[in-house]
Amino acid sequence: MGLLGLLSKLFHKSGSSAKSDTGAVKMVESKRKEEKSVADKITVGHVHMSGCTGCLVSLADNYGGLLTILDRYADLVYGLTLADVRHIPKMDVALVEGSCCINDKCSVDEIKETREKAAVVVAVGGCACYGNITRFCRGGQQNQPQHESFLPIGDLIKVDVYIPGCAPTPQMIRNVCVMAYLLLKGNAEQKALATSYLKPLMDLAAKGTEACFCNLMTEVINQGLCMGCGSCAAACPVRAITHEYGKPQGQRDLCIKCGACYAQCPRSFYSFDVVNNYEAILGAINGALQ
Amino acid sequence: MANELGNYKTCVSARSTDKEILKCSQDGGIVTQLFAFALEEGIIDGAIVAGPGEEPWRPQPMVAMSKDELLAARGTKYNISPNVSFIKEATRSFGLDKVGIVGTPCQMQAIRKGMLYPFGWRDVPDKIALALGIFCMENFPYQSIVQLVEDHAGQKLENVSKMNIGKGKFWVYTDRGAVVDLPLKVTHKYEQPGCHVCLDYVANLADISTGSVGSPDGWSTVFVRNAKGETVWTKAVAAGCFETKPIEQVKPGLELVTKLANEKITKNQKTIAGRASFGAGKALRNPYI
Amino acid sequence: MSKVVEISPTTRHEGHSKLVLKVNEEGIVERGDWCSITPVRGVEKLAVGKTMEQVPKIASRVCGICPIAHTLAGTEAMEASIGCDIPDDAKLLRIILQCANRVHSIALHNILILPDFYLPGTETKINPFSPEEPVRSVAKRIQRIREIGQTIGEIAGGEAIHPSNTRVGGMYLNVSPRAKSKMYDLAKEGLVLARDQMELMLAIIKNMQKRDFIDVAGKKIAVPKELGYHNQGYMAVDPVYGSTSLDECPRWDLSRFMETRPWDWYMGEMTVDLEDKSYPVGGTTKAGTVVNPQMEACTGVPMYDGQPVEVGPRARLVTFKNFDEKGTWGQHAARQLEYTDSFYAMIRALDELDPSGSVLADEIPQGDGSLGWAANEAPRGTDVHLARVKDGRVQYYSMLVPTTWNFPTCSRALTGAPWQLAELVVRGYDPCVSCATHMIVIDDDKRIVAQKLIQ
Ligand SMILES: Cc1cc2nc3c(=O)[nH]c(=O)nc-3n(C[C@H](O)[C@H](O)[C@H](O)COP(=O)(O)OP(=O)(O)OC[C@H]3O[C@@H](n4cnc5c(N)ncnc54)[C@H](O)[C@@H]3O)c2cc1C
Ligand code: SF4
Ligand code: SF4
Ligand code: SF4
Ligand code: SF4
Repeated sequence: MGLLGLLSKLFHKSGSSAKSDTGAVKMVESKRKEEKSVADKITVGHVHMSGCTGCLVSLADNYGGLLTILDRYADLVYGLTLADVRHIPKMDVALVEGSCCINDKCSVDEIKETREKAAVVVAVGGCACYGNITRFCRGGQQNQPQHESFLPIGDLIKVDVYIPGCAPTPQMIRNVCVMAYLLLKGNAEQKALATSYLKPLMDLAAKGTEACFCNLMTEVINQGLCMGCGSCAAACPVRAITHEYGKPQGQRDLCIKCGACYAQCPRSFYSFDVVNNYEAILGAINGALQ
Repeated sequence: MANELGNYKTCVSARSTDKEILKCSQDGGIVTQLFAFALEEGIIDGAIVAGPGEEPWRPQPMVAMSKDELLAARGTKYNISPNVSFIKEATRSFGLDKVGIVGTPCQMQAIRKGMLYPFGWRDVPDKIALALGIFCMENFPYQSIVQLVEDHAGQKLENVSKMNIGKGKFWVYTDRGAVVDLPLKVTHKYEQPGCHVCLDYVANLADISTGSVGSPDGWSTVFVRNAKGETVWTKAVAAGCFETKPIEQVKPGLELVTKLANEKITKNQKTIAGRASFGAGKALRNPYI
Repeated sequence: MSKVVEISPTTRHEGHSKLVLKVNEEGIVERGDWCSITPVRGVEKLAVGKTMEQVPKIASRVCGICPIAHTLAGTEAMEASIGCDIPDDAKLLRIILQCANRVHSIALHNILILPDFYLPGTETKINPFSPEEPVRSVAKRIQRIREIGQTIGEIAGGEAIHPSNTRVGGMYLNVSPRAKSKMYDLAKEGLVLARDQMELMLAIIKNMQKRDFIDVAGKKIAVPKELGYHNQGYMAVDPVYGSTSLDECPRWDLSRFMETRPWDWYMGEMTVDLEDKSYPVGGTTKAGTVVNPQMEACTGVPMYDGQPVEVGPRARLVTFKNFDEKGTWGQHAARQLEYTDSFYAMIRALDELDPSGSVLADEIPQGDGSLGWAANEAPRGTDVHLARVKDGRVQYYSMLVPTTWNFPTCSRALTGAPWQLAELVVRGYDPCVSCATHMIVIDDDKRIVAQKLIQ
C-alpha cells in the first residue's frame, strides 16, 4: 500500500478523484509561486533521427495541453521542426524520435551528442525503441544507396525510458513529460510517484531493442499467460491482430514492429501498486494540465 | 488477505425490475439493466458486450448502441470474449465519446492499465465512461465448452439455453428442459491456463462489479466501487431500475464471496510462486512487476 | 566575387535539409541549392517482395505530416496495378480523411510559420507559444482546428496520424450513423474557426507583403518585391483529392515525367567563405567547410515536361481556380484559402456518405504485374506513387512525393532573395523532407523512365 499512502499524503486527501484533482492543481500552483516559474521548468528537446515526425505531431496533438505543458513545466530548448535552435544544447530530457542510420556520420554524432547533453533520454515511438519500419530497410535507393543499416537508438546509447507505439499516443507522451517533471523538480513524494509510474518504461528500455507481434507469442501465449482480453488487438496501429477463438492471431506480414501490443498487454507488465491507484494518478496528471 | 474484495463504497444484493431483461439474463440482469439505463440517460453512447458469434455459445464482442442490441448479448458465455479488442474502434468508426464496457476482472485490469499507459490507445482513456466488471473464477477456451457440453454433459451445444457455475458445479440447461450438472473437478483441466495467475475474483477495478455469488438465485451481488459507479448506481436505483436488499440480509452473503476470493487468490499465488522454479534453474515469466 | 554561405540544418519544417547559397556582394542569392540531408530509408526498395497490403502501411510512415497522402496514394497505386475499383462509400471516406488531414496540416504550418511574421501594426514577430494575448487565443484556435481535423481523421481513417482503416480494395469499416453525425458537427464547428483563422492569416500575410524590411538577428534585411518568384511551371491533378491510372481521363501523365539525378542538377564541391555567427540560432556553417550538394543531396530531381515544377496549394489554385499571386506571399495566401475549401469538400462528402453502404470491393484481384499509379493531392502537393503488383506481392514501387518536386523549384525561387530570407522562401513550400527520397532513375542516354516502365 506504499503508493496509496504516498498519494493521499501528496494530495492531503484520499478518496474521490475529483478531490485529488484540485489537490494536484494546488500542489503545482503553490510550487510555482514559491519558486520563480521559469527556474521551475525542466528543459526538453526533441531530437529527430530517422523518423517520420509523426511522433512530434503526436506530442502536438495534446492540443491545449501542449500549451499548458510549455507554460508551466517544460521549456522546449531544441527541436528543428518547432524552434530555430540549430545545435543540440544541454537539456534535462531529450525526446528522441526515429532510429539511427549508422551509415550517416551526422546521425551517429547526433545521437551520441544527445546522450552527452541530456540527463534523461526518452525513446519516443517504435522507430527509436525498436526500429519499427526501419527494421525492414536494406539500402540501395538513390541518392544515398549506402544508407542501409538503421538501428534503434538503444543499440548505440543507453536509453532511460521507452514509449513504444506508432505513432506513440499524445497521452503517453504527455504522461511521461509530466512524470519527468515530477521526477526532476518534485519533492521526495512526487519523485516516488514518478519513479513508480516510469519504472515499467525504464524496464522496457533495459529489456532490449526488438519488438514484434512475436513478443505476444513468445512472452505471453507461450508462457501460459494470455487470457484473451483483447488489449493487444486494440493497440495495434496496423490492424495486424485479430482474435481467433479468443486468442490473438498476428498477421506477421502486416506487423511493423512498433511494440505497442506487447507493452499494452496486461500480462507483459502489471504493477498493482500503480494500476490500483489509477484514479489518483490520472487525477494528478489531469489536474496538472488544468 | 485483507483486500480480496477490493475497495468499494457499497455492496448490495439486487435485481432488475425489467421483466424483459430478467428473462434471459444470467443472474439479476445487473449488467444489461445498467447499460440500458446509462444509454437512455446519455451516460454512455454505447457499450462493448459479448454478442452472439458464428457458432453456438461462442461470443463475439460487439458495440451495442441500442437496448435491443444489449438484450441480444445477455447471459454468460463461459469462453473468451475479447471485449477490450473493441475499446479503440468504439471511439473510431462507431463514433462513441462515452464508452461502456463489460468484462471479467482481467479485462478491467486491462482497461485501467490502458488508461494509465495508453501505448496504442490514442484518445481512448478519457472516453471510458462506465466499466462494469463481472466476478470470475476462471474462463475456458471455446473447445473446452464444446467438450464439456457435448461429451461430459452429453448435450448438443446448439440446444443449450443456459450455462452456469454455482454451488460447486457446472450446470447445463437445454431448451427442452434437461438439466445436467458436472462436478468442478471435471471442468478444472479444461480451464484457460492464463487464468491460473489471476489474482482478482470480483473485478476490483471496475466502476461497478457484479456476480451471482453471495446472493440468492435470480439475484446478484453488486459492489459499487468508486465515485463514478456510485453516481450511476444511485441514479439507476432512484429511477426504479433495481430492487435491492442489504447484502447483510441475504444468504449466503459476503462471507461466501470472501471465501471464494481467498481461495482463488491463494491458489493462483501458489501457481505464480511455482512458476519461479518451474524449470531446472529456469523460471517462467512473472507478469506482475 | 560571389561567396558561398551554408545554412544547415534549416528549421521549422519537417525533416533535415540544408541550404547552400552562392551570393553576390550585397548578399543576394545568385544561385541556391536546397537539399535534403535526411538519411534515405529506402522504402521503395524495401517494398519489393512485400505484400500489397503492407507496403502502403510502411509508406505511410515515411512522413507523419502527410501520412494520409502516402497511405492513400500507396493503396490506390496498388489498386491501380491490380485493376480494382472500390465502392463509392469507401471513396467518400477517403475524401473525408484527405480533407481532415489537410486542415490539420495547414493549421500545423500556421504554427511553424508564425515566428517569421509580424503582428500587424507592430514590430514584434509572433511566438505562437507565447501565453500573451491575442497570440494565445490564436494558438488555441489553431490547436482546436487541428483537433477537429485529427478527430475526423481518426473516425474515418481509424488513426489520426497513420490511418489504419484504409486497405487495398476499400476500407476495413464504414462508420456508424452516430460517427457520421459526429463528423458533421465537428466539420461545422471547424468551418467557422477555419474561416476566422484564414482571415487572420491573410491579414498577417498582406501586412508582410507591404513591409520593406524584415529583421534578422538585429539586421534590417530589405525584402525584394519578388521574393520567391520563379519561372517554373505548376503541377496539380485535382483541387482536393487526386487521380489514378484507372480513371477514364487520368489527370497525370507518366510520359511527361522524367528525372535527373542530383549529380546533373545541383552545384558541385565548394568551400564556405561567408560565415555569419549571428544568424539565429547558432550561426551559419563555419567558413572553410567543404560542401557538395551534388553528393550530399538525398533526393532525385523529378521533372514534368522537362522542367522542375511547383506543387502544392498554389499549384492547385493556379490550375483549377485562376489564382495568380506569385512568390512566397502568394504561396502562403493560397494555403490559407484551402482552409475553408477543405471543410466544404468534407461536408459535401459527408452529405453523400451512406453509413450502411459496403466499403470493400467484392473482388480483389491479386495483380499480374501491370504498372499502376495514383496521384494524391497531399497538403504540400501532388504525391504520385507507382506500383507493379503480381500475385499480391509488390514487384516495383516508387514514390514521387511533393517535397521532392518542390526541392529544385524552390532552389530556383531563391535567386534574387537576400540570403538571410532564404529560409523564409523555403518555409513557404511547407516542406516535409523525410519522405522526399526516392529512386526512379533514368539511364544514361536519358530515355524517359515512362517508356522503360511501360515496356
Ligand atoms: C467466464 C465467466 C466466469 C464467471 N464466474 C463467476 C463466478 O465464479 N462467480 C460469480 O458470481 N459470477 C461469475 N460470473 C459472472 C456471472 O456469470 C454473470 O455474468 C454476472 O453475474 C452478470 O449477470 P447479469 O445477470 O447481471 O448480467 P446480464 O444482464 O446477463 O449480462 C451479462 C453481460 O456479460 C457479458 N458477457 C457474457 N459473457 C462474457 C464473457 N465471456 N466475457 C465478457 N463478457 C461477457 C454479456 O455480453 C452481457 O453484457 C462469470 C462470468 C463469466 C463470463
Ligand atoms: S514511431 Fe511511427 S510515428 Fe514515430 S517516427 Fe516512427 S514511423 Fe513515425
Ligand atoms: S493483450 Fe495479452 S493477455 Fe490480452 S489477449 Fe493480447 S496477448 Fe492475451
Ligand atoms: S502486431 Fe501491431 S502492435 Fe504489435 S508490434 Fe506489430 S504492428 Fe506493433
Ligand atoms: S480467471 Fe482471471 S484471467 Fe481468467 S478470465 Fe477470469 S478474470 Fe480473466
